[in-house]
Amino acid sequence: MTLSGYEALFFWIFGLAAIFAGLLTVMARNAVHSALFLISSLVSVAALFILARAEFIAGVQILVYVGGVMVLFLFVIMLVNVSAEERGQEEIFNNQRQVTASLIFCLLLVGGVLYSVNQGYQGLKALHPTTPEVAAAQAATREQSLPTSATGSSKITNDSQGLGGVLYRYASLPFEIASVLLLVAIIGSVMLARTLRQEASADDVDPETLQDEIRRDSEFARLEPKSE
Amino acid sequence: MLNFFNPIVTLLLQEGLRARFDLMRYAAANPDLSKFLVIGALLFIIGVAGVLTRRNIIVIFMSIELILNAANLNFIAFSRYLHEMGSVNAAAGQIFTVFVIVVAAAEAAIGLGIVIALYRNKETIWVDEIDLLKW
Repeated sequence: MTLSGYEALFFWIFGLAAIFAGLLTVMARNAVHSALFLISSLVSVAALFILARAEFIAGVQILVYVGGVMVLFLFVIMLVNVSAEERGQEEIFNNQRQVTASLIFCLLLVGGVLYSVNQGYQGLKALHPTTPEVAAAQAATREQSLPTSATGSSKITNDSQGLGGVLYRYASLPFEIASVLLLVAIIGSVMLARTLRQEASADDVDPETLQDEIRRDSEFARLEPKSE
Repeated sequence: MLNFFNPIVTLLLQEGLRARFDLMRYAAANPDLSKFLVIGALLFIIGVAGVLTRRNIIVIFMSIELILNAANLNFIAFSRYLHEMGSVNAAAGQIFTVFVIVVAAAEAAIGLGIVIALYRNKETIWVDEIDLLKW
């Protein structure tokens, strides 16, 4: 795979945008700013997915991550908002020694990963020797066979169609398991996020804990189950 | 556009350096699989640095999302590469990405539920103050 022309230009724009937004996610003081930078990083990565001809995944990325997960993050940030952090009184990083150690670790990891990507890619290139020009010519001939869109200026790809076919033909059982996983996660997070009051009214608290709470706050006595 | 700069660059750079520079410009104008992998690796390491250095548990969760997203980028890049090499199962990378996104969504829901329960009980979101299991 080799991009060229405007694709190369957009690759660098979105790639650098993803990396800078990722850095700012980690370094922003305010958690809301972090979330917004993470959103821009995710959108840039979605653009990279489009450049790699994965339009469906790019759409899923924006719908699920940006539209779902990040909105959830923002809700939770609003719920647990810590104002000392915004006023700049609270240290946002761990203590100096831990930060130094982990940054050294990360630098070693950068070196190792980039070295191994380079070495591995040399081997891969030796395995499939194609120059960018040949690859571009092959891609152009493949594109000629695709149907033309209504405006006549672009081609309609069938990548999403192929992805759907493969998803239901070869991965239908994992697909169903994933839906069960999501259901379990939803039920679990609802269980986790209940208050003691909600748990007491659903008769789901250890009796001793409930007695302790009643001693501290007489309001809870009204919530005690009436079965006995 | 680069043609405009060519004479200046020729003037400035010596022969060996110029050959290296031409090679780099050629590689930059034709980003291939390795460039996708490098961007994925950098995003991954930024995420690791965030998990290791930040104190805010919500930002740590966001860094984990960054790590998962870097893995997704690698899957997609290899899927495209294998597709162009004529592999029959090239869509497997994209399908794996769908499942990674599903698991990330489930993880975010559970993790944020835990954060809310924790904040309700401990009144803090700083990870160094959450040391109930430490002695």
